Amino acid sequence: MANQDSPKGDTKLGTFTQDAKQYHLFYHPKDRLRLTIGDDRSVITVKPTWAAPLSYPKQYLSLLNGKGEEITTIARPESDLPAESFAAVSKELTKRYLTSTISRIVSAKGEFGATYWHVITERGERDFVTQSLQENAQWLSPSHLLLIDVDGNRFEIPDIELLDTHSTRFLETIL
Amino acid sequence: MESTNPVGSGANLLPSPTDDVLIRLVADYADDGSFGHRTLEVTKEYVRVLEPGDTPSFIIPIGEIKTARNEPLVGGGRLEIVTTRGEILPVISYSLTISAKFSEAARGIEQLAKSEPLLINMKEERLRCALCNRLLPEKDGVCPACVNRGKTMMRIAQYMVPYRKQAVLLALMSLVTTLLNLCPPMIQGKLIDTVLKTHTELPTLWWLMGGWLGVLATNSVLQILSGRLIAYLAGNIAADLRSSVYRAIEFLQLNFFDKKQVGAIASRVTQDTDRVWGFLVEGVPYLLLNGLMFFGITVFLFLTNPFLAAFILSPIPFVLGIGAFFWRPMSQMFHRVGQKWARFHMHLNESLSGIRVVKAFAKEDLEYGKFKTRNHELRDAGMAADGRWYTIFGAMTFFTSLGTLINWTVGGYLVYQNKLTLGEFWRITALLGLLYGPLQWFAAVNQWFSRAMAGAERIFEVMDTETEQYGKQDSHHRIEGEVEFTNVRFGYDKSNPVLKGITFTAKPGEMIGLVGKSGAGKSTTINLICRFYEPDAGTIKIDGIDYRDVALQDMRNQIGIVLQEPFLFSGTIADNIRYGNPSASFDEVIEAARAANAHNFILSKPDGYDTMVGERGSKLSGGERQRISIARAILHNPRILILDEATSSVDVETEKQIQEAIGRLIEGRTTFAIAHRLSTLRNASRLVVLEKGEIAEIGTHAELMEKQGVFYKLVEAQSAINEIIGVGTSG
Repeated sequence: MANQDSPKGDTKLGTFTQDAKQYHLFYHPKDRLRLTIGDDRSVITVKPTWAAPLSYPKQYLSLLNGKGEEITTIARPESDLPAESFAAVSKELTKRYLTSTISRIVSAKGEFGATYWHVITERGERDFVTQSLQENAQWLSPSHLLLIDVDGNRFEIPDIELLDTHSTRFLETIL
Repeated sequence: MESTNPVGSGANLLPSPTDDVLIRLVADYADDGSFGHRTLEVTKEYVRVLEPGDTPSFIIPIGEIKTARNEPLVGGGRLEIVTTRGEILPVISYSLTISAKFSEAARGIEQLAKSEPLLINMKEERLRCALCNRLLPEKDGVCPACVNRGKTMMRIAQYMVPYRKQAVLLALMSLVTTLLNLCPPMIQGKLIDTVLKTHTELPTLWWLMGGWLGVLATNSVLQILSGRLIAYLAGNIAADLRSSVYRAIEFLQLNFFDKKQVGAIASRVTQDTDRVWGFLVEGVPYLLLNGLMFFGITVFLFLTNPFLAAFILSPIPFVLGIGAFFWRPMSQMFHRVGQKWARFHMHLNESLSGIRVVKAFAKEDLEYGKFKTRNHELRDAGMAADGRWYTIFGAMTFFTSLGTLINWTVGGYLVYQNKLTLGEFWRITALLGLLYGPLQWFAAVNQWFSRAMAGAERIFEVMDTETEQYGKQDSHHRIEGEVEFTNVRFGYDKSNPVLKGITFTAKPGEMIGLVGKSGAGKSTTINLICRFYEPDAGTIKIDGIDYRDVALQDMRNQIGIVLQEPFLFSGTIADNIRYGNPSASFDEVIEAARAANAHNFILSKPDGYDTMVGERGSKLSGGERQRISIARAILHNPRILILDEATSSVDVETEKQIQEAIGRLIEGRTTFAIAHRLSTLRNASRLVVLEKGEIAEIGTHAELMEKQGVFYKLVEAQSAINEIIGVGTSG
């Protein structure tokens, strides 16, 4: 992992980059996200991380280098980054964030201190178990719910109002 | 393709008979991030990924691999390979459910890449219950749905065994009470028919009343006796249950405590045991008595007049139906009220214990706002639940009262027709009251039972959880003090190793300083020495013996520990110093306190050694508590001593005193010390410098400074801000 950190010298940039248009993010080689800033600086491995994925979704994107140190944080990546950079970073983000979004609850049953879920997500169908829902069902807003299963896998319902009645009925009886 | 529920079917290691695949793991994400299947195969020659249908999508020869690792992602992980050219290649993604296995696989790949023997633990884990195919809450754990309730019931009943005589006596007395309860209606009926209606046989009145008085007296005595018996049984069984749960918890491995909050564990000792004994002592007799009574009265009613009986019992199905139908939603509502209470309490606790911060930031209004929200939530939940409750209760009352109305209508008609005597009618009326009363609660019994069972299961879960390996009891090995780490690997969470192959030997009497940035594995090393956790791979030997072969308590008796935040139990200072050696004389206590530089400050307290220290010793300063804990360690007289940041939370003057005390303490003992201020380790015999779970350097302070390596850099970075105080320099 030697040659992947950022070059020495002035690595500090402003916390919020104003001229994100200079940021070129691209895959090189095929599986590695790389960042070139203007013409003078290049970071070989970039880990994009949402600063507050739940309360500010799609905003405040931090770019970290291979050591996990911040390169910069972009407040509005979708409008601030060049289009192809945003596409590349979005691709990397979907690989890094394995949270699933629930679109329908097929069944949910609370039994014997555990809750058994069967859901349909954007990634497909999935079964999971949650325990002690007081801690593992987190309301991020009155309609935004995050479920964390016994292994730590994450399932998000961005807006329970948008679920069908079949699904909401399960939520009502269980939570 | 069975792409639906990949959790259960995924991640099997199937040693293939045809080729030489060493590791084969099925991941639960497809290449596009949807739930699916991809297979990782590792052979002696290559690592490859197979898409469904066995088409390879990635392949790399082992020779080109430098390292492999599990890169933690949000909600999952990814196997990454670093090539000899320094490229990082993402290989395969998976959910957290199976990431531990892929972490092991990464280790295996590394071993192959370094041409080491393949030593990994690929034990197959059960994710689903073999009986009902439900997902298991814990891998390889018990399926809560398939726990045999009969068996659980039997296990609970065992707690009755020591008190079986009293239990049988209680049952008999209850039976007699039930029968006696039936007497007054009989007497009244007889009185009406033989005396009141005929206006003759006055002496019978006195006789009957005398009998009634006898019944009353006997019943009262029986009630007093059975009440006292219940108190006796309840007290004893509750205490027994609490003891056995507490005892079981004490011996559990520490990782049980890592996963659960103290409150949750404590509630097993208090709430869950309450549910179980409550059901045993109150629920079972209730069920038994009322069941008997219900049966007896029904039979009696039918014998007296089947026609009337059928009429007056007809509302019973409605009463039971309402109970059964509404009980579950009702109990859910009460459960919700309970949860709101918990949230309310939590906020109240938090804002009161943080009252200084609240005031300092002038956020009283904000906190009141939060309080109001919680308070209103609680009010609304309470109102909804109580409102519903009274509605249901009212409906039930209608049907139970209907029974009486029917009785008077049909019974009255029968008496008028002379098909029923007035006495018989009165008897039936009186019995009816005994019948409908308990009926309302029968629906609750199932709930009651379920809750007791759930409580029992949680209790037995603790009792059945694997305890620490205590080894042979009573065997004694006097520790000389040689501690040898051989290729020790360990991670709290198996997918994230904290120590990655630690090898070093501490000679008897040596002081080893453990150095490194936070997260390097210093505290973990110490946790392993104390055997709070055991290595995942590799061995730790004490005096050349694998320490797992030494009796645990015997070993820990010879290990002393001084922590950064010393924990003192409530009791006197002397009690705390004696904790590790309760038989020590007061002379020895004073001697230990002197050696720990604690004697003087203890004498300055009004009660001297009898000064009470509260929970966490809150009346003492950090430095004072630290010196008491050093005195405790001195009196304990351990062969191996552990100092975990013992001086980091005190001022310089106090630190000097503590350092002096430590200097006396470490003499002749193998000592492992962690210190944030590196200069405090100057007198260590050797320093072990850890970096990311591996040993970067070993050597004396002077050697490492001369070498100008990792340690030198750490010292350089710190020297500007730190005082130079040597460990072990007295005076």
